[in-house]
Order: sequence, then C-alpha cells, then structure tokens
Amino acid sequence: MGSTRNNIIVLGLVVVLIGVAAYLIFLRQPVTQATQLGLDLQGGVSAQLEGSQTGGGNVSREEMEQASDLIRQRIDRLGVAEPDVRVQGQDQIVVQIPGVENPDEVIDIIGRTAQLGFYQVLAFEQNPNTPSDEIDAVQNELEEDLRDDDAFRRGETKILFEESPAFQGSGTDVTGYVVREQPDLTGEELRQNGANVEFDPTSNNRIVTLQLTNEGGNRMADLTQEIINEAAVSGEPGLMAIALDQDVQSAPEVQAVLSDQISITNDSLPGGLPEDEARQLETVLNTGALPVNMEIISQTEVGPTLGLSSLRSGLTASLVGFALVLVLLVVIYRALGLVAALALLIYAFLMWGIIVAVPVTMTLPGIAGIVLSIGVAADANVVIFERIKEEVKRGRTPRAAIQAGYDRGFRAILDGNITTLITAFILFALSSGSVRGFAVLLVIGVILSMFTAVVVTRALLGLLSGRGVHLSPGMMGVSKSSVSAERPAGVR
Amino acid sequence: MFPGVDFVGKYRRWFAISGVLLALGLLAVALGRLEFGIDFQGGAQFTATEADRQLTEQEVTDALPPGIAEESVVTTLGDDGYEVRTPVLSEQDSQEVQSLLAEALGAEVSATSVSPAFGEQIRNQALQAVAAALLIIVAFISIRFEFSFAIASMVALVHDVLLTIGFYAAFGREVSLVTVVAVLTVLGYSLYDTIIIFDRIRENAPTVGYNRRRFDEMVNVSIRQVIRRSIYTSIFTLIPITALLIFGESTLSDFAFALLVGILAGAYSSIFIAPQVLSLFKAWRAGSARRAPRSA
Repeated sequence: MGSTRNNIIVLGLVVVLIGVAAYLIFLRQPVTQATQLGLDLQGGVSAQLEGSQTGGGNVSREEMEQASDLIRQRIDRLGVAEPDVRVQGQDQIVVQIPGVENPDEVIDIIGRTAQLGFYQVLAFEQNPNTPSDEIDAVQNELEEDLRDDDAFRRGETKILFEESPAFQGSGTDVTGYVVREQPDLTGEELRQNGANVEFDPTSNNRIVTLQLTNEGGNRMADLTQEIINEAAVSGEPGLMAIALDQDVQSAPEVQAVLSDQISITNDSLPGGLPEDEARQLETVLNTGALPVNMEIISQTEVGPTLGLSSLRSGLTASLVGFALVLVLLVVIYRALGLVAALALLIYAFLMWGIIVAVPVTMTLPGIAGIVLSIGVAADANVVIFERIKEEVKRGRTPRAAIQAGYDRGFRAILDGNITTLITAFILFALSSGSVRGFAVLLVIGVILSMFTAVVVTRALLGLLSGRGVHLSPGMMGVSKSSVSAERPAGVR
Repeated sequence: MFPGVDFVGKYRRWFAISGVLLALGLLAVALGRLEFGIDFQGGAQFTATEADRQLTEQEVTDALPPGIAEESVVTTLGDDGYEVRTPVLSEQDSQEVQSLLAEALGAEVSATSVSPAFGEQIRNQALQAVAAALLIIVAFISIRFEFSFAIASMVALVHDVLLTIGFYAAFGREVSLVTVVAVLTVLGYSLYDTIIIFDRIRENAPTVGYNRRRFDEMVNVSIRQVIRRSIYTSIFTLIPITALLIFGESTLSDFAFALLVGILAGAYSSIFIAPQVLSLFKAWRAGSARRAPRSA
C-alpha cells in the first residue's frame, strides 16, 4: 500500500479536482446554466434528415457538409437560439433546436431543397374554392384531366400544383399546371442575396423580388419572349410558373419580355404574400438550394412542460436512489461504509463537473446512465470491503486486511469494468443521438468510479488505519464472534 | 454464507427454475405480446401532459380527425397524461392531430414521428451492436480467463437477455430504442457480475490437474465467498433503478423495468447458471479428452 505521503498526494489531487469542478459548476456561470439539457428535458425540436440524389446515386460527405451549413444558415436567419446541426454517418443530418416557439415553421424550412425553377406553362386547369378536406381528391381529379390534355407527354412533362387562398369566396384555389420535366430556368441564375421582401409600389402588396445574373437575365428574356409568341399564336394567355421544389409559388401571366428582375406575388390576398411566407421564401432562396434532396426521417417535438416534468422525475429518482445507497453502505460497513459514502459523494460531484466541462448534453437516457453508474461505483467498494472483512475474519490486523483487500479485489473490478466499457464503446460506435449520450456517461461513470472507489477510498483508509486510529473489526461491520471462527474452508 | 447449499451439484434444480421462467417469457413472445414502438416500425406518437380535462380514451379517439382515428391507439399516462400512436402521417396531418389534441385536452402536446425506413435502420444497428459486443467480449474473456469461462458467461448472458425480453413481453411493455439500451446494459451488467465470481474461481483454481469432484467443490467455495457481495451489489444497483421505476416518466419506467428484470436475472445467473455451465463444460471436455486417446 502507498505510503502516507502518497495518500496525502492522492487526497490533495482530489481536493484540487473538487475545486475545479466547483469552479466549473458554480462560479464560471450561474448554476442553472451550467448543465446543458437535451431536448427531452427542456423542450424543443429535433429532426433527422436523410439526403438522396435525384437520380439515385450516392451522396458524398462533402455534399452533406454543404447541406448542413445551409441548414444552419437558414435556422440562424430565423433568429432561433443555438441550433445544433450535425452530419451523421454517410447521408444523414441531425438538427436539434432547443426551446423553439414555432416548431412547424422551423421543420418546414430546414428540409426544403429550395430548388427554384421557372417553367413555361403548357396547359393548366383550376378548381376554385376547394374545401380544405377535399384538396387531395381535387388534385387527383385535376391530374387525371391534365393527363388527357394534348400538351401532356409522358416522360417529357410533369404536373405541378399551386394552392392559394381563394381569390373570391372561401376555401382554396387549386391549380394544376402541365410543364416540361426540366425547368426552363433554375435558381442557379439567382444573384447572391438576390431575393428580397419588398412592397409593390402600385398596389402596396408584399412581394418577393428576385434579381437574376446577367446570363440569367438573357435567358429569362428568351423564355418570356417564347411564351409571348406562343400565346399570340394560340390566343390563350401565356403563363410562367415559378416553382420552389415541386410547389408552384405563383404563375403570373407574361405580358412583356422580362429581364433580370422578377417578382413573386400573390395578388389574391389583400396584403399580397403573407409575411411569414415571404420571409421563408427569402431565406431559402438566399441561402441557396441544398445540393441534395432531403427527407425528414424522424422528428420530435417536446413541449417545455413535458421536458420539465421528465427532468424533475429523473432527478428525484437519482437523488432518492443515491441517498438510500449511502445510508445502506454505512449501515452494512460502518466505518468503511462512511469512507465509501464520502467517496461516492466525491464521485457524484466530480461527475457533475465532467458533465459541465466536456460538455455532455443531459438527456433522459443520460440520467439513466448516471443512475446505473451509482450502482457500479458502489459495487467497487462492496467487492473490496467484502475482501477486507474476509481478511479481518482470518485474524489479520485492519491495516494488513485493507492492503490485501485492495490488492485482491482490484483485479476483479478491473476485469468487470472492462467488459462494461466494451459494451459502452460498441453502443457509442453503432448508435446515435440519445443512446450515445447514455454510452458516454456510462464510460465516464465507470472510469471515474474506478478512481474514486479504488484510489480515493484506499488513500482515505490508508490514512485512517495508519494514523493511530484504531479500526476495530466491529467498526468494519465484522462481528467479534466471526473473527477467526469462520475460516474459509477448502482451497487455500 | 449458505454453507449447506450445493450450488454446483444441484444444477438441475437451478436450471429448472430458470427454464420455467424462460419458457413463460418466451411463450409470451411467441403469443405476439412483444409490442414494438414507433422507433422500430415507423409512425407518429403524440404525448399530452398536464391535461386540463379528464377524458376517456374513447373521447380522445373521437377528438382525432376521421380517417386517422380508426388507426390510432390511445393510452392514458398517469392522472393527466395521454399518449396517441398513429401510423406514419404527413406533416399536415401531424400538425392537425397535434392541434386537435391540444384543443381537446387543454394541454401541451409533444410529437414524435419516425419514418419506416429509419426504424429499420435502428433495428439493424441494434442487432449489429449486440452481435459485435458478444464477439469482442468472448475474445476478451478467453484471453483474460479461458475459453470455457467465455462459454459459460455467454450462456448466462443469453439467459439474462432472453429472460428480460420474455418478461418485457409478458408485462406488455413497449419496445423502443430505450429498451435496446436497457438490454445492452443488462448484457454489460450480467457479464460484470459473472466475471466477479469467475475471478474468484480463477484465483482458487489449482494450477495443475483437473478433478471433477475437487473442481466442483472449489467452485462451491468460491460462490460462498462472493455471494454476499453479489446480493449487496444487486441491492445497491436495484435501489436507484427502483426509484427510476417509481418516479420515472413512461420511457424511463420502461427502461427501469427492463433493467430491474435484467439485473435480477444477472444476479441469479452469475450464481446459479454460469458456474454450473463452467463445471459441466469442464467435465464434458475432460471426459471427451479421456475418451479420445482410447478411441484413437
């Protein structure tokens, strides 16, 4: 066993660590802010998105990084606090946004690929004033009709829909447009930060203006010229559909050749485009199109009340469990138990310090991991103390018994903990999200418990048994009658 | 402790106890009682907390939009909580359900949705994790102890995991991602517990020679030496877990339930299954080693 000097060094180190932990938890910032809470504990939105290529090819890591940057920018522009956007695995992005007030808007905006396309409208059909529960059915009907139209050619054209609040009357105007498969002009021709929310000077309606590049302007001129020409031949009004992804935003009638200035309007509403819609449009257009298609594969919204009550019950459980374990340790092992209880308290405090320092985001499974690690930490002491008691019963002095107990117990603890670490590492490597949080806390808990339950208690007991303090068998929970009487039978 | 109990010799008795419990649990699984949550099959789940109005499950179902209501499962959580599970919904439908529920219950509604493809991915990940963990741990134990110890601990481990799953099914708890974490934790704990006993056997084992009677007696002694520790540790671990079971929300309590069963099973198997399998395996190998030269 280490000398008294070594023991003092170990305990000095513990005091320093406690000091550092206390600084991190209480002094560096207000204690309520010290611990990062996961979405399940404080409420918020989290979504997992999967990227894919339109043609079905592989998505590269670079494209995913690019996409996650764009998504982060979009969320930042919404003015939401501290989003966490990460690429995970080959083709997934995890977005976590704590404490959002309008989760639906956020979810809506992050997944948009925002491919802007301008199309010449080849044919269209409208069903005005559709009640909201019939939209799907009406879309199917319109699709049927349009497929019969002469302008529809399988493989070369597609049908896009526009839904806008009814121009007159109530409900929704649903319009189907037959357009070419590929857009005649895409959002790549949009100038940097070329989308702006503005007001139409004549009607004072809210519009979104688009500023195209010079080349884009030329191509737009060609496209609009063509639309006008064809309209003159057919006698029907020539429309141009402006679509974001597969949704037509507006389909104005082209009356003059346009160049590099386009605007998206909605004159059917009294004030033009609704404010939030215009702002979303501006955001997704200016941050640019995502390089790949994004699909939301899982999505979670946790309300703040649910989060708070989960946190409360998790903490209650941990504290009650912890307190009972401390009491039981002292009851069973007396003086030894007192030392172990002290070590467990140190363990808990240092654990909190690490959670703040790393920082680990606390989630429900994380709390479960901590609760479990309390048991593991207590066990290391139980293994050693049982050994010590055995040695005391064989008639050894407390000092010699403590030494033997640690020497012999340590190997079992080490082997046992390594298997736990293996499971935790595999969990970490193969899983994601909250399961990872659990694995991380379990690893930290196991390693830290080896330190506090083996090194720290040993140093404490070393000092206790060496400094003229007389540890009687009774103080270690060994009854007098069993000393030397119960020699382990058999193999020696 | 337990000086009169023949742990090794009475292996048939211990195996029978486990066998009955395992059979009951696996029967529950076979009867399709194992309920998979949306994490594994995709779908949407809405959770309402601190509802102002007390509604019956039927009333909650009636509040849902027609078309979705028929396919939904409503459960009450505690006094003022409700949970509604539906198949995969469109973004629009999901928002509608969320606002209808919030209105009907006067509560805050949290929503989760998982696509079926993602559920499948999660399931594969979980299976991979378990397989990888088993392989690496067999290798580790074979190196630190011997192969026969690895075999015995694997049997104990499979026993614990199957028992946990069986009880989970019998009590109709819902299998979610958290359950997988719990099972993996049980796996870790079960091994840990077994290894503490094996460590004592390794320490007590004579370096040369194998004699079945002597070996079995030595295992008995080893178990007696560590059984008190096993009991204490199980108690120490079960206390915080029981607290989780009592105070925890539905997810946490599912997790705690799996741990509770798994840890009890782990404590039992490390004393009544693993050492016995080790002893039987050793005896079988010694027997076949003796027969081999004769037949050659």
